[in-house]
Amino acid sequence: MCPADPVTSAPSPLRLVVADDHPIWREAVERDLAAAGLVVVGTAGDGEKAVRVCTATRPDVLVCDLQMPGLSGVEVARAVSATTKVLVLSASGEQQDVLEAVKAGASGYLVKSATAAELVDAVRRTAAGDAVFTPGLAGLVLGEYRRTADDERAPKLTSRETEVLRLVAKGLTARQVAERLVLSHRTVENHVQNTLSKLQLHNRAQLVRYAVEKGLAD
Amino acid sequence: MRLDTALWRAIAVYRLAALLYAAGSMVAFSGTYARPALGWAVLSGMVAWTAVTAVAYSRPELRRWPLFVLDLGLTVTALLSSVLIMSRDRIEDGDPTVTVSWAAAPVLVWAVWSGWTGGAVAAATVGGGAVLVRGGASQATVNSLVLLFLLGAVVGYVVQLARQAQAAYAEAVALQSAAAERERLSRSVHDGVLQALALVSRRSSDPQLAALAGDQEAALRRLLVGGRPEVLASGEVDLRTLLPTGADVHLAVPASPVLLPGHRARELAAAVGEAVDNARRHARTDAWLLVEDEPDGITVTVRDDGPGIPDGRLAQAAKDGRLGVAQSICGRLRDLGGTVDVHSASGQGTEVELRVPR
Repeated sequence: MCPADPVTSAPSPLRLVVADDHPIWREAVERDLAAAGLVVVGTAGDGEKAVRVCTATRPDVLVCDLQMPGLSGVEVARAVSATTKVLVLSASGEQQDVLEAVKAGASGYLVKSATAAELVDAVRRTAAGDAVFTPGLAGLVLGEYRRTADDERAPKLTSRETEVLRLVAKGLTARQVAERLVLSHRTVENHVQNTLSKLQLHNRAQLVRYAVEKGLAD
Repeated sequence: MRLDTALWRAIAVYRLAALLYAAGSMVAFSGTYARPALGWAVLSGMVAWTAVTAVAYSRPELRRWPLFVLDLGLTVTALLSSVLIMSRDRIEDGDPTVTVSWAAAPVLVWAVWSGWTGGAVAAATVGGGAVLVRGGASQATVNSLVLLFLLGAVVGYVVQLARQAQAAYAEAVALQSAAAERERLSRSVHDGVLQALALVSRRSSDPQLAALAGDQEAALRRLLVGGRPEVLASGEVDLRTLLPTGADVHLAVPASPVLLPGHRARELAAAVGEAVDNARRHARTDAWLLVEDEPDGITVTVRDDGPGIPDGRLAQAAKDGRLGVAQSICGRLRDLGGTVDVHSASGQGTEVELRVPR
């Protein structure tokens, strides 16, 4: 992942919801976050409850498992990402689901084996509006743009964005990318954020188009 | 095997029915026999042999060639005994032989034993016996010969098909139950061991223990999702499933399978493995793998975060043994029609870019 600059601590502590169907995990994540001074305002053991809790408590960030009974992490991300930033925690080997969750509006993902410090850092950056871009996610996003390269309606990457994504996917930190391309750190973050926003926008447009077509057909 | 049990039972039933027919036929024709006493003796022998085979063929360990050959031999002998039992003119008139259709039983036996060829061989033997008895091939004899051949060949062929179908069915059932078992295992492991390992790897203050637990978690997870056939029907393999893994290897791959013909995928993965080993040995850092699936080819980049190779220090690198590995990687890629690029600058790590055309 790209360890960002240390985020200056906000005046009021961040409010979080943790959703995971494994109690043991949920509690561990909760403890790690609380130990770092963050406030967990709600927890959920399934997707539907995660959506309800988020609607009721309006947290800054939802930390969400991908595989949950009821609604999946992808569906939860789709349901709440308009009002709540979503950080997906996933096991390895769930690339397709991770990509879907990110397209559905999640700001980033972290593998479950990440350390407590990495988790807290990721939550802070998600709350600050940055994409949590691990090399793995950069690889998925690159692959998605390549997959849809022939689709005229699909969004395209600029050559600069491709360059940045490739470097992130190869494990360079945002700072190293900035150095290598002689850009500011902020510009690198913006490029990364853009690649994600374009995918999410396109995904939402597709959903709307699908709904309209469905509506017209009915 | 249930199919075989059923087949051998069917043969026993056929032999019994044919025996009753032969007995009825003897009752009707024994008045015309030259040696009726011998006829009844042969019939008793047929009764005994029907009983013996009914028992013997029901036991798999006895279903071997000596019994099959003996069966055919005794049956043909009984058939040939018609020459001694019946009068010459009655044989020429076309009266039924002593054994009638009972003689066809070994044809079925041989067909079940070794398919249509076995059936045809037995049909030829029994048919040859019938021609000997009649002293030539009349129209009626030819008709029964043809029927006998059809019986042996068709039954043999159908039995072969049925056995293949049964084997395929058994395989499908085994596959299905293996998949069900894996799913069951994977559910319980996912809920228990995996969660515990992930927790240890996250919370342990001992970095070595944490790394070990993390490695084991990843390995176990791969084991659970793996096992599904990695080779597709087209002979293509998903390159992602072949890449090296470990706590010190970071993968960036597309979400959808990266397909290459099996041999090419394995060669490319082997080259990637060497590049990763190289990074581990010489750079002593983690390795980052980026897989890019493009219309004209596949690119895998292996990056380490080591000191890099300073400009003009390739000779030193060769001395360190780095080039030796590089040459082996280059060799594999050349065989695949691909290319290798090494970018390195002092302080920026080393990137080895492997490109393979489709």
